[in-house]
Amino acid sequence: MTAGVAQQTTPRAARLPRVRRAVRRNPVLVVATAALGLIVLIVVVLPFFLPDPNATDPVNRLLPPSAGHPFGTDLYGRDVLSRLVSGGRASLGLAALITLCAATAGMLIGLISGFFRAADVVLMRIMDAWMAFPAIILATALAVALGASLWTELIALSVIFTPFVARVIRSRVLSVANRSFIDAARVSGMGRWKTLFVHVFPNVLPLALVQIIILSAAAMLIDGALSFLGLGIAPPTPTWGNMIAEGRAYMHEAAWLIIIPGLAIILCVYVLNLIGGSLRQVVDPRSRTLTELQRLRSRGRPGSRKGPARTGDTDDGHRSQPERPADAADTSHERTVSP
Amino acid sequence: MTGLLLRRFRDLIIILLVVGTMMFLIIRLVPGDPAVAILGANAQPQELANLRQALGLDGALYEQYLAWLGQVVTGNLGESITHNAPVLTVIGQHIGPTLTLAVISTAISFCIAVAITTWYAVRPRSPLARLVNQSAPLGMAIPDFWMSLILILVFALTLRWLPTSGYTSLFSDPAAAVQSLVLPVAVLVIAQSALFTLTLRESVLGELTQMYLRTARIKGLTETQVVLRHVLPNALMPILTIVGTNFAVLIGGIVIIESIFVIPGLGSLLLGAIHTRDFPLIQGITLFIALLFVAVNLLVDLSYALIDPKVRVS
Repeated sequence: MTAGVAQQTTPRAARLPRVRRAVRRNPVLVVATAALGLIVLIVVVLPFFLPDPNATDPVNRLLPPSAGHPFGTDLYGRDVLSRLVSGGRASLGLAALITLCAATAGMLIGLISGFFRAADVVLMRIMDAWMAFPAIILATALAVALGASLWTELIALSVIFTPFVARVIRSRVLSVANRSFIDAARVSGMGRWKTLFVHVFPNVLPLALVQIIILSAAAMLIDGALSFLGLGIAPPTPTWGNMIAEGRAYMHEAAWLIIIPGLAIILCVYVLNLIGGSLRQVVDPRSRTLTELQRLRSRGRPGSRKGPARTGDTDDGHRSQPERPADAADTSHERTVSP
Repeated sequence: MTGLLLRRFRDLIIILLVVGTMMFLIIRLVPGDPAVAILGANAQPQELANLRQALGLDGALYEQYLAWLGQVVTGNLGESITHNAPVLTVIGQHIGPTLTLAVISTAISFCIAVAITTWYAVRPRSPLARLVNQSAPLGMAIPDFWMSLILILVFALTLRWLPTSGYTSLFSDPAAAVQSLVLPVAVLVIAQSALFTLTLRESVLGELTQMYLRTARIKGLTETQVVLRHVLPNALMPILTIVGTNFAVLIGGIVIIESIFVIPGLGSLLLGAIHTRDFPLIQGITLFIALLFVAVNLLVDLSYALIDPKVRVS
């Protein structure tokens, strides 16, 4: 806090301490990002050092976890660890691809419909209808129409996730478009499209980033469900979803076959959600107000940590609490955002 | 109020139109002849021609589209090929289990979220509040198909307390129905209650910053009374919105859970229809689900009016 206040004179100089302060306030963000980095590293590098994920060994089928096979073997005697790691390539890679496609499309639609009011009416109605469609159903329908493959899944899920990005971006664009620097750009003779990309887009980007990360968590979950149903990447290639589907018939004798890939999905989704959530607190001032409040509430009285508010009688602790931290966070937000 | 209803009605038509058109086009995307895909390569030409006519596959694309549109507008969703019955009848036979799952799990999740959040708002420093803080995001990270398998493994295969699959109607045999519903509902509740709790907690925290609470406290209300009478009613709006927007996700989850627990609901029906390429049925079910989505969101809007006088007046 003190470092930030001291260097407030020049905005650029204040940025670095602000980042450092955000990191200190957000240890979750740092730890989760590091965990994600580690997972990606493992998934990318480790397959080179592990046995072939598709090498069958019928003699050693359904072995429980041991030194030779840390996560056991599956019904064809394939090593579950190497299938898990290369399945991670498919699952994480596909989730990243889906997110990339949906984010690009959603961002374009959101930018356009937020900035050009004529397009807004049409686009947003279509987006609303789109959201009425359960992702699984569209993906299944497409998989049947075009044949189950990586591409159909990619198309179906990108299409499904597009409106969620578009809505968030649009609402942000709407608030940015009212700022005076947009009017200034128009008065100075800048074209509408150029204004959109030079002035609006950078202001929307941080929120878009948060949305993208939360989206990739959702994409991992649905991707898992689809390959579990046999509508994603076809079985010889491992994914976490189809590993669980294959292990399902043997889950009573070989529980590790479903538990381990499931835990992998949970870990990734959890880490992504953590990153998204804590990044949102950095980017979105409203949610930061709330977490600030939450932090102060769970600590007790704002301002004085060892003040008179004890656990016994909460009345005093609660009465004066809510207003002040909210005000503090609001003003700091004004500082951050004003150009 | 009438304005709201009219707007909803317009949305309903647009949503059905977009969803229907999308499904119409997807089905026409099937490479080759859908009639051949359904009947197999050895079908008689006469059979193929009959089926093509029944599916509305004659003529140019726009002619097919207009014909289909005309049918749908008059409430005729066509005949199911595999069930040999009108699509609407087939849907009616399978709607029960799906609605049961959706309603029960949403209601339970709602109660859990309200209970937890109330506790959290009154005692933010209690161990339970902290535990929930940490575990709600975890609940949202668990894939429902995996959770179903784990619950089956533990409670059905290992402990043998509950059946692994199957479904009995609540009205025909309540005791057996409860037994068969426990696991599927538990899976749905885990994900949903986590989402509801997070949403509600955020809006409760937002509400706690309001000045009128100070007045309420100065009046001499206890913290519990303040939360129950003032904070919760005002904080409930976002959770209702979430119930509406989360409905599509809920249905998606139900589709998977029905297929794992072998429950004869709309989800199983849809997956079956997709495997047997029963195109009229696929189209009918997707339209019906879109209709449900709009209906649920309309209910949400109406309940706003019930809760919040401001909406009623405007």
